[in-house]
Amino acid sequence: MYSILIVDDETSIRMMLYDYLEDKYKVDSAENAEIGMRMCKERDFDMVISDVNMPGMKGPEFLSEVKKMCPATRTVLITAYNIDNYIRMAREFNITNIIPKTTPFNFLELGSLIDALLTKNIFGLSRYMLPAYNVLGSYCIRSSVEAKQVRETATALLTDTLGTSGNMRLILDEIITNAVYHAPAYPDGTEKYPEYVEVHLQPDEFVYLECGHDTEKYGISITDNKGRLTKEMVLYKIDRQIAGEGILDDSGRGIHMSRLFSDRMIINISPNNKTEIILINYFSHKYRGYKPLYINEL
Amino acid sequence: MPFPIVLAAFGIFAAFFFFALVQYRALHRKNKALEKALRGAQGERNLPSLTDKIKLSKHQLETAFDAITDFICAIDRDYKIVRVNKSYAQYVKLPIRDILGKQCFEVFWKQSSPCDNCPAGRTFLRGTQVAKQQFIQRDLYNVRYFDVGTYPVAGSGGATENVIEYIRDVTEEKNIMEQLIRSEKLATIGTMTAGIAHEMINPLSGISGTVANMLQVPEKYGLNQKGIQRVSTLMDATARATMIMKDLLHLSRKEEGTSVLTEINTIIKKAVNAVQLKGLSSAEYKLLLEKTLPKVLCDPVKIEQVIINMVTNAVQSIAEKKERLALEGKEHNGMIIISTQPVDGTVHIDIIDNGMGISEDVKGKIFDPFFTTRAPGEGTGLGLSVCHRIIEEHNGRIVVESNNGLTTFTIIMPVHSPQ
Repeated sequence: MYSILIVDDETSIRMMLYDYLEDKYKVDSAENAEIGMRMCKERDFDMVISDVNMPGMKGPEFLSEVKKMCPATRTVLITAYNIDNYIRMAREFNITNIIPKTTPFNFLELGSLIDALLTKNIFGLSRYMLPAYNVLGSYCIRSSVEAKQVRETATALLTDTLGTSGNMRLILDEIITNAVYHAPAYPDGTEKYPEYVEVHLQPDEFVYLECGHDTEKYGISITDNKGRLTKEMVLYKIDRQIAGEGILDDSGRGIHMSRLFSDRMIINISPNNKTEIILINYFSHKYRGYKPLYINEL
Repeated sequence: MPFPIVLAAFGIFAAFFFFALVQYRALHRKNKALEKALRGAQGERNLPSLTDKIKLSKHQLETAFDAITDFICAIDRDYKIVRVNKSYAQYVKLPIRDILGKQCFEVFWKQSSPCDNCPAGRTFLRGTQVAKQQFIQRDLYNVRYFDVGTYPVAGSGGATENVIEYIRDVTEEKNIMEQLIRSEKLATIGTMTAGIAHEMINPLSGISGTVANMLQVPEKYGLNQKGIQRVSTLMDATARATMIMKDLLHLSRKEEGTSVLTEINTIIKKAVNAVQLKGLSSAEYKLLLEKTLPKVLCDPVKIEQVIINMVTNAVQSIAEKKERLALEGKEHNGMIIISTQPVDGTVHIDIIDNGMGISEDVKGKIFDPFFTTRAPGEGTGLGLSVCHRIIEEHNGRIVVESNNGLTTFTIIMPVHSPQ
């Protein structure tokens, strides 16, 4: 059984998480980082979930200390504050998962994230959807012509089935362009294909797209088999765009827009192997608001 | 007649004739000399005649009179207009000759008798000026505000013969002033609330989560049926509290949004769709969207939020009116018109409804946080202040008019002009 430590100064949050997780995991809780640190020194936890703002040592510093002591421990921050304000701090302390304390609390979201991180099965849209997940379509993109077709087909499919596709068309444009043109590269790092020309990808470079929905949300996953994203790169790009410093950057706009125009953006990375970007929109307003930071790197 | 008498008579006549001739020639010479002197004087020093001088000065005064963009007229004791400037004629859309002789209350204020509290009347009575008095003019589509001043013109006998009415359109100033006050209020409230709201969301999240856990497995918490019921009401209560907190945060958040060159018409269509999806379809929608509308640099998600909010307000207002009229056994055909048009470097989005309308005294408050006319629990009263904030972030503004059963919200946004 995996062990999880919850650290939060707000008793109701601590109890709530404890109650939710205790059936599946071995759970402990602490009301501040100092007590949490003592517990971590006594034994290794598979995962530590911590609040950001606490009296005494703050969450990010605490988690980065935990990581130093036990690099295998997965770390997650939770906060009621605006996560955009914490991106720079996340870079500094090497934290890639921050989830919002929504009301009502989104247990399913936390549950799927915890499961993905603990089991290291991070890839696949279905993992982040309810059991009643319904695949609407899945496509392989092997050329720039197909990229356009798939983008149109997928968004039309969502609109036809669900009555809306949010701003998915806009985002897909950016993400697919990135995957087709900017991912494939020569060993020295220079990109293989210039933008705006017709491109036929090599068999091992194909891009996979899947879209589907459950009862509360719909999503699209774009898997890029030559993806070269790293968590440092993603954090850097998002941070620059949020801080308003990245207006003139050549890249990073796509990721920022995806985060902005969808309710959830999950980036899964298997270094030098593949990258998956998952975009999720909720049907109801209750889980919107602050955007989590979800970068899972194996 | 004897000859010598005839001769003498002729002599006298000739003598007279000669004298007259000499006199005439002398006069003629003098006259010529005078004329020459006069012409010389005029030629050398180029003096205008008195009439020319008066003409020039009259022309100067008239030009100044017409150049003034405020509306000026002179009236006599019967309120008949004896003089009027060009701006006045342009505003009332009549040629000057059709205005002269008519009464000012008829021409400008479209009334059949003098205005209540007419400042011109007082000026005639007392012979003193009335500095500034505010008047409101309403027609079917809008309300305009005017400052009116009246000044006496004394005749030769000293009594006031005419009164000059000086009318200034202060509608824009008033709108901008109102907006300034509004934004200042919002800014103060914003900074204050941000901190509170975050701190509130933290326990609210815990409460709602714990309650959710309890409802999930009631027996684990020893809850009986009554307990479940009570805990469910807690769930609703936290949901409501959260809604207020989220709106408050939105109000206070100064976030760097994205700016994308956006087709406003597309956003409007999406927003109307979203409102209809929510089942709010008690009204007929009419979209009058200008096809060649210039694009606007904005955050499309936020602008969509603003339009959804305003259209929802319109729908609710119509639903309320329907309900009211139904009580009297009357029917009401709800209508929402959304139109877009370019106006001098800006884009105007009009959202017009024939719902409850907004009274003049409420109008100043509708953008205030927590101001709501709806029953408790039906709205937080933050929607319009959030809209106001968003539009302000885009350097735009919102203008409201409510008249004769029609309420118009106009969102004015600057058009993107490439540098």
